[in-house]
Amino acid sequence: AAMRSRAEVDATLQTAKVNPEELLPVVQCLSFGPQAGGACCLLQLEPGLCAELEAGCSLVIRGEKDEHAVLCSKDKTYDMKIADTSNMLLFVPGCKTPEELNPGPASCNISHSQIAGFSKNYWELRRCRPKLKKLRKLLMEDPYEGPDSQKDQTSTFSKYTTEDLLNLIQASEEEILHQLQVIDACKIEGYWRILDFDYQMKLLNHVTQLIDSESWPLSKVPLCACLEELGSLEPREMIEHILLSYGRKYVDDGEVFFEMLEDKICRAVAQMLLQNAVKFNLSEFEEVWQQSVPEGMTTRLDQLQGLALVDKSSRPETIFLLKVEDLPEDNQERFNSLFGIRQKWTEVDITPYIQDLCAEKQTVGALLTKYARSSMLNGVKVYNSRRPIS
Amino acid sequence: SGGTGALAQWLLLELQGEVEPRQSGDLAGSLLGDLHYTREGVPVLIVGHHILYGKVVQLEKPFAVLVKQGGASQPSPEEPQGRYTVTALIKTKLLFKTRPKPIITHVPKKV
Repeated sequence: AAMRSRAEVDATLQTAKVNPEELLPVVQCLSFGPQAGGACCLLQLEPGLCAELEAGCSLVIRGEKDEHAVLCSKDKTYDMKIADTSNMLLFVPGCKTPEELNPGPASCNISHSQIAGFSKNYWELRRCRPKLKKLRKLLMEDPYEGPDSQKDQTSTFSKYTTEDLLNLIQASEEEILHQLQVIDACKIEGYWRILDFDYQMKLLNHVTQLIDSESWPLSKVPLCACLEELGSLEPREMIEHILLSYGRKYVDDGEVFFEMLEDKICRAVAQMLLQNAVKFNLSEFEEVWQQSVPEGMTTRLDQLQGLALVDKSSRPETIFLLKVEDLPEDNQERFNSLFGIRQKWTEVDITPYIQDLCAEKQTVGALLTKYARSSMLNGVKVYNSRRPIS
Repeated sequence: SGGTGALAQWLLLELQGEVEPRQSGDLAGSLLGDLHYTREGVPVLIVGHHILYGKVVQLEKPFAVLVKQGGASQPSPEEPQGRYTVTALIKTKLLFKTRPKPIITHVPKKV
């Protein structure tokens, strides 16, 4: 079809009884482009995303068929939801606002723009917690048990590269890489692996025994000497990895040292002791635990937050393993699970098990208000389920 | 991805109701209407037999126009997964909310 002419536009104005004197001189004739209705869609941007896009950053939408899709920027994750409007939204390249209209030569009084697409809906975003539980689950399919283990050669389990994880995990790249660090994963032959816990303890044991025999201060463990002394027992990368996992690396006078992390080591030793029984007599456990940690370290129950729970109602008092990372990721399911384990919780006891559920700027208190009901028990405020647990 | 060049800025037009082609057949290639502005900057859209008066709105939350890579099917709400290219940003819209004023036509003038 021939393009609309200025004369035709003027004729329409006349028929519509609109006075051309009241209008700016340029008319923009809009028609539907050849691709209109094609594979375009609208995404409403949260603050910050617009600037990121203008800086050239990417956005990826992730999710398997059984997952709700999320949008990931470089470092954040957003839930996506379709917003319906009752209106028609048309998007037009090259269409100008009054300010943008060039007050050019008087002869230019008509322009033609093509509508690139249209939609009755758009995607809305809401910042959410990255869905990282799956990351640990994938890596725990095949924990690394050391070079002597026969498993790796015969293993049929999938191993995951960074690229694989980016495709499978509903989180931004930065969030994924950060989480890999948090869970002490390491790259072995290009694949991300978690070390089997018993293997970790074996490695840690070598290190702590060496620290003891060399009488090094716990705050100044030399990397080089460790690699030299232990290199014949275990791969050097593994020795370095265990030092990185359980120590804080620093450089002094050009040499690399580690300050061993007391809390983390005590916690690991506790896990090692607790995982072999359903529950322990608390005072017996505390004695064995203190004796099992490296010389110079002091055990404290608060080191076990999110790892173990003390039952103060039993006589004698007992302690058992309860790892927060084993609990459901969904808020309601998490609370159901916790109230299934124990009917009434104090805020102090439950906080380590719900802290990770807090969204940006959300408090534990807000979560408790939403998912639990409070009451008083022996003068202490406790929380229980909002619904009857069968 | 955003691409290395500056992102194009498009405009959004928001209209009430449906847009249907006058003749049967799909919309591609067909005319929507003439967009004018009054000297005060009020957008005036003449669509078919209607005049629509609107206003220019700066969007509090801009839009990104996404095109699914790999050509293929229209990204649907049920299956939005995939890699997308951000083709353009939209920071301004022309909102036409007033009821369209019908144009009473006589026999159209021959040009």
